[in-house]
Amino acid sequence: MLKNLLLIFILTLTSSYGVEEENIKSVMDAKIKQSIKILKNKSLSQKEKNKKIIQIMDPIFSYDTMAKISLGKKWKTLSNSEKKAFTKAFEKKMKHSYIDKLKLYNNQKVITLKPQKVKKNRIKLTTKIIGNNETYKIVNSFYKKKGTNQWYIYDVNLAGVSIIQTYRKQFKAFLKTKSFDALLKTL
Amino acid sequence: MTKIHHDTNTTLDKEDDADTFEDEFSSNDSEEIIDPLHVYNRAMTTFNDTMFTYALNPISEGYAAITPEPLRKSVSNFIHNILFPIRFTNNILQGKFQNSSDELERFIVNSTVGIAGLFDPASTYMNIPAHNEDFGQTLGHYGVGAGFHIVLPLLGPSNLRDSIGLVADAYLSPLVYYKGLEKYRLPSNDVQTFAILGFDIVNKNSLHLGAYESLKKDAIDLYPFLRDFYEQKRISDIEE
Repeated sequence: MLKNLLLIFILTLTSSYGVEEENIKSVMDAKIKQSIKILKNKSLSQKEKNKKIIQIMDPIFSYDTMAKISLGKKWKTLSNSEKKAFTKAFEKKMKHSYIDKLKLYNNQKVITLKPQKVKKNRIKLTTKIIGNNETYKIVNSFYKKKGTNQWYIYDVNLAGVSIIQTYRKQFKAFLKTKSFDALLKTL
Repeated sequence: MTKIHHDTNTTLDKEDDADTFEDEFSSNDSEEIIDPLHVYNRAMTTFNDTMFTYALNPISEGYAAITPEPLRKSVSNFIHNILFPIRFTNNILQGKFQNSSDELERFIVNSTVGIAGLFDPASTYMNIPAHNEDFGQTLGHYGVGAGFHIVLPLLGPSNLRDSIGLVADAYLSPLVYYKGLEKYRLPSNDVQTFAILGFDIVNKNSLHLGAYESLKKDAIDLYPFLRDFYEQKRISDIEE
């Protein structure tokens, strides 16, 4: 009971955007626990589950940053409205992809390791999904927003593969032969 | 890496250190994968994808419908346990002695308490983790490059190094028939080998239904996506 109250307390404390450095592990732990609870809740429809989990995870994801990194050098050549349109489309795609992967959760044990500060404004947080004979690693990369102590996720690494790097490569290859508008449409 | 000056005229650019992100990610951009077989690879990817969607998936779903999950997990445990020589040897070859001793312990516990490997008490009760290592990783560990990318029929993405690794591991695998080593082999001819491998693939897939489709959704162009995904994953596996 006390544990649950503490959980709710932490979550409400941090429902504003980003997360402070010292809270990264506890907040992520709380968010993961909540998400697993939702995933296991049989009275919710898949759609309701998706919505709730997105609500939990959204505040710490920086979709703007992800969108920008994924386009690489191309980003700077875009107009403001193009940037907005792309960020919106990319955000939708990321959420979709994230939710889709959550569906694969099948009662595996989940543990979060100690956050690793790789640079003064970068932290990596590793989560291990322990299943039958196999363990998957998910690494969430956080960056510190300049002038604040708010940290946001800018990349997720699944089993050794960076999602943003993968998109970056794909967008680069796509834009070699096709236009930016075509890319927007594909997304 | 030279940085071109750019004006920060948008709110998005002002928000954070865009250049450091560029540095962090662009260092991996240049890792061009050697791909002389891309025409064949692309065709094989389409073939595999079709086989996956129209053969493997329906078979796995049907199999999953009539076989309870605990039983399928036990099959997977059994096969994993019997492939112990591959993991044990490759951990030793890479000088990872703690890992090979973990593997040995797992094999002993799971083969006895775990009833011939049908259960995995080593993970469940004793927290001894498995250490998956194959010969492709061993070669990579000693600096052997990936070589060109090859998409194998039915088995999916691989590369020259890992394909050689597969052959070497097959030599150690009790599930692959090998003339002269019949004593240590479960199958007594090639047909049985393929039947066991096929069953393993179906059983494994039945425990991960939807995973491939979910992965595929991140792809804009399937072949290069799967290729890059595979190569990145292998680099990370070898680094561990």
